[in-house]
Amino acid sequence: MAVFQHDVLIIGAGLAGMRAGLSAQAAGADVAIISKVHPVRSHSNAAQGGINAAVDEDDTWEDHAFDTVKGSDYLGDQDAIEVLCSEAGGEVLALERMGVIFHRDETGHLGSRAFGGQQRARTYFVGDITGQALLHVMYEQLIKQGLRIYEEWFVTELIVEDGSCKGAVVIDITSGQMHVIGAKAVIMATGGAGRVYEPSTNALICTGDGISLAYRAGAPMMDMEMVQFHPTTLKGSGVLITEGARGDGAYLINADGDRFMEKYAPNMMELASRDVVSRSEQTEINEGRGVDGCVFLDMRHLGMDLIRERLWQIREIGIDFVGVDIVKEPIPILPGMHYIMGGIKTDVWGRTPLDGLYAAGETACVSVHGANRLGANSLLDTIVFGKRSGYDAAERSKNGHATMPGEDYAVEGEKKIRALLDRPLNGDRVAKIRLDLGKVMNEKVQVFRNEDQLKSALEDVRALKKRYDTVGVEAKGKVFNTDLLFHIELGFMLECAEMVCLSSIERKESRGAHYRVDYPTRDDANWLHHITCSYTPGGPQLGTAPVTITRWEPQERKY
Amino acid sequence: MRYAFWPGCVSKGAAPELYTSMVRVAPELGIELVELYDGNCTGAGVISEHSMETADALNARNFAMAQRLDLPLMNICSTCQGVQSMAQNRMRKNSKLAEEINLTLAEEGLHYDAEAGLDVKNFLWVLVEDYGLDRLKSMIKKPLTGLKAGPFYGCYILRPEPILGFDEHPDRDKYLEFVIEALGATLITYEGQDKCCGFPILTINKQNSLTMAANHLSEAQQEGADCLVTPCPLCHLNLDAQQPDAAKYASVNGLEVPILHLPQLIGLALGISPEELRVNRHVVSSRKVLAALSS
Amino acid sequence: MQVKLKVKRFDPESGEEPYYQQYSVEMPETATVLDALIEVREYHDGSLSLRCSCRSAICGSCAMRINGRARLACKTSVRSLAEEGEEILVEPAGNMPTIKDLVADMAPFWDKVRAVKPWLQPSGPPPEREYVVPNEAMQALGEVMNCIMCGACVSDCTSLEVDKTFLGPAALAKAWRFVGDPRDAQDLSRLREYSEPSGIWDCTRCNICVQVCPKDVKPMDQILKLRAAAVHEGIRNNNGSRHTLAFVELVNANGRLDEFRLPIFTEGKFNIIGQLSYLPSAPRMIRSGKMPPVFPHKISGVKHVKRIFKQFGEREPGPAKLVSAGGH
Repeated sequence: MAVFQHDVLIIGAGLAGMRAGLSAQAAGADVAIISKVHPVRSHSNAAQGGINAAVDEDDTWEDHAFDTVKGSDYLGDQDAIEVLCSEAGGEVLALERMGVIFHRDETGHLGSRAFGGQQRARTYFVGDITGQALLHVMYEQLIKQGLRIYEEWFVTELIVEDGSCKGAVVIDITSGQMHVIGAKAVIMATGGAGRVYEPSTNALICTGDGISLAYRAGAPMMDMEMVQFHPTTLKGSGVLITEGARGDGAYLINADGDRFMEKYAPNMMELASRDVVSRSEQTEINEGRGVDGCVFLDMRHLGMDLIRERLWQIREIGIDFVGVDIVKEPIPILPGMHYIMGGIKTDVWGRTPLDGLYAAGETACVSVHGANRLGANSLLDTIVFGKRSGYDAAERSKNGHATMPGEDYAVEGEKKIRALLDRPLNGDRVAKIRLDLGKVMNEKVQVFRNEDQLKSALEDVRALKKRYDTVGVEAKGKVFNTDLLFHIELGFMLECAEMVCLSSIERKESRGAHYRVDYPTRDDANWLHHITCSYTPGGPQLGTAPVTITRWEPQERKY
Repeated sequence: MRYAFWPGCVSKGAAPELYTSMVRVAPELGIELVELYDGNCTGAGVISEHSMETADALNARNFAMAQRLDLPLMNICSTCQGVQSMAQNRMRKNSKLAEEINLTLAEEGLHYDAEAGLDVKNFLWVLVEDYGLDRLKSMIKKPLTGLKAGPFYGCYILRPEPILGFDEHPDRDKYLEFVIEALGATLITYEGQDKCCGFPILTINKQNSLTMAANHLSEAQQEGADCLVTPCPLCHLNLDAQQPDAAKYASVNGLEVPILHLPQLIGLALGISPEELRVNRHVVSSRKVLAALSS
Repeated sequence: MQVKLKVKRFDPESGEEPYYQQYSVEMPETATVLDALIEVREYHDGSLSLRCSCRSAICGSCAMRINGRARLACKTSVRSLAEEGEEILVEPAGNMPTIKDLVADMAPFWDKVRAVKPWLQPSGPPPEREYVVPNEAMQALGEVMNCIMCGACVSDCTSLEVDKTFLGPAALAKAWRFVGDPRDAQDLSRLREYSEPSGIWDCTRCNICVQVCPKDVKPMDQILKLRAAAVHEGIRNNNGSRHTLAFVELVNANGRLDEFRLPIFTEGKFNIIGQLSYLPSAPRMIRSGKMPPVFPHKISGVKHVKRIFKQFGEREPGPAKLVSAGGH
């Protein structure tokens, strides 16, 4: 048991966390990053298609911002979107100079591809492994700068004293030892909560840790009803197939071989925004024009050369996971849970309403994505707001509080863990509860929603929470006890799920990813505001927050 | 059966007993070998470190000679096999490279048709795939009963699989086992049989090289092998000629594992005398082999 | 289908030696080995530890030895390995210590990655915008950028097996990512460092890393590119590059390898000590009639071989060079 101290503690070592770490260190802070997996195992890897920015001289950040605002169905905060898009170009160029091997055009300058919901091609990419390429280069920079990383350490709770966040209680997974890390500022960068759904494109580590930890510590959540279903997830495993495929010209076809997007988005076709495409696919499937619950992504006409250069990983995935070679056959896909627009409410510097606590990346809700995130804006979000929160946290730490939390927190933490391990086994299993949760969410809080289903989902989730309160941990050891970690993670997930259900019931209109069959239109008069969730011992307390509109008044949204 | 025959540099240099035994065994089996006397070194994967294109062109020259004879090409060296297969693969994929190489070859009247390709096979593959184990069995005059033999493949005849035709012939990593058993010997298997013998780094990191050899030899001896058999003369050099030096890194005392070339093992089963097969021309005495066979 | 697993277990807290445990789980036909392990962990034995996350071969967590060969469990279908009822052997990655069960201690792996100075080191003031480089140069690095640092290559590397100091295939493939990057300006100093003992010349070219890499990174090929670049840059103060150059010189002279002179040239023509190290094996070889001929055999077409060397030999590029640091 030990107490460590740093100026800035970053929880999570994906792109947002690493970017925050680099920027906090550059601003003069003593920084440490803690992550439950090695940094390059983070889920930022999974972003395939690219990162958006107005880099070309004939593109403008304002155009990018407008596309983002429209994509968000006007729920995005326009001051934050202006920050995101105006800083995008500089950040993408900086990534290039760090070493990212971005695709080039014939002049050797950065070359882009088209992505959904945008008027022009401004997605910069490395084949279909952009997230991986960025993540590994960011890790290179981390090595270069010698940042302190607590690798394979797991946070069990945040420490709040006198209304300020002052650190975290942690388990070193390898030894099972508990420690306290004190910090003058804490940045939450733990990614999303995708595993709340089953299936999901998200990695098994995406269990909403940061959202739940911050919620329990008293920071409000925002836009939790906004869950993105990606239009092209693979049949069966739910593995992601990049939007870049459609950006590069792939078609969506139904069982009859028709390009059905003609009916739903005649202008943008397959490149309409994700919520629109996912609903169109689900409609085709529901009306009997799918096969086995799927429609198809057809890349046969793209040719071997393009596929080899830009979509090699997708080809590999198709062959490995469904035995389909995309060069020769259309691949079966369906909409699948992919991203949560909601998260910890922050301002444009990553500051949450809880003093000393910051958040960046998918964990956070600035809100730049509003009701629907544009493809390739998520990597951008991690970089821009990771950097900004790192900078601000470092500045804050320069005149931060002097008293640091002591070892008591670890002693208390250990008691809780001991109690959990001592809990008798009752025949139920963490995995069973998790699977039930995933199915409930996938069936009842999905692309098309209605009040009855949502309420039933909420009841189910609350019943699962009851089961959770009595389920035990099978493995009793200290070293690499993943069984214990899964138990703690399930607690995080159930809290996230409850907030998603409650917020979805609350919003009685259709906006972006939140489509209510019982309220099928957007209702700006009553619902052009954010829904927030705050912790109370009895469950989340709903509230509202205004949407910031700077220059783009809400209009009808058509693609 | 007729093959263009590429013996490789080592069978004409430091392991002449390989060449001698091969040309002795071939007619016995009814295989006619048309030697490419003017063939050149395949590069052994070393020239490609200097220049991949040079290595490919050198190999194309040998291929062209075989194509001119309209014969498949047989080698007796795992390393040659790997290098030749990789060169073929690169030229098949890169028609521009093949074209350029052919411009140079044209000056001596040679041409390698990379697209049509050429069957390039180690003697081991020839035996199992072309000749057939049944036919081989029918030729046996002195079954190797009582001899405990272990395989040692050599990396280049095993990896990388896609380039070495494993899609079509998935059992190519078991052929030595097949042959050992077909000849009536007792098969000994051990972990190191498909690993690296250490030869390529002998002059670079002698200790590592000898440790590798020592590990495999120790394992084989512990498993009770009277000898190992290899289709690769480079492996032979490290496992045989360096064996006395490798002994100090061995995990067993009294390391003594004779290493036979593949044609020598075949020859013994065909009833050819050990002397004719030059089984006595190794650094490690073959007495264990002869003793096992005579008991 | 019924999937049978035989899993190597190790619990450092128990004080017991590693042992094997058998499991049998019912899985769909399309299941991967990871699916089966997760099924075990979640529904049969919560004490089984392994790393996994993405389930789609991009996070690199689940490299382990399956049926004796390093693979990503998430990319290995059960069907590809075993018929119904056949047992699949699952062990932790090799060449690394085991923390628990299938969890390998990757600290030595990352130490070596760090040792190659894995970050871009351009020279001069950075451009205002991006470095201008041909797309082909970026694409050529795609192969190494595809590396997910799973450690499969390191697990099965035959050089590492005998020498833990070897930098190993993953770190060296990463090294080529910089030497091969036209934006990096430290090629010469990098290549000098990588040419030191335990570096590029200690690879045996056994191809195991190429074989087991789940992402087709071909680490050995990247090591060979580093060797070619080192030779090209004139870094010749080591037996590795001298061996390559001697080999080339001798084949160029005779059309075939001259094994008598190869070790002599490799140690350096005037390096008496180095040459003496071959003496113990030389008399043995002479005694058994295996000494390579002192006067090498020259093939009759040697002039054609020389022509090939002349035409292609000087062409191989060294490390990639920057085209322009200018903006638009």
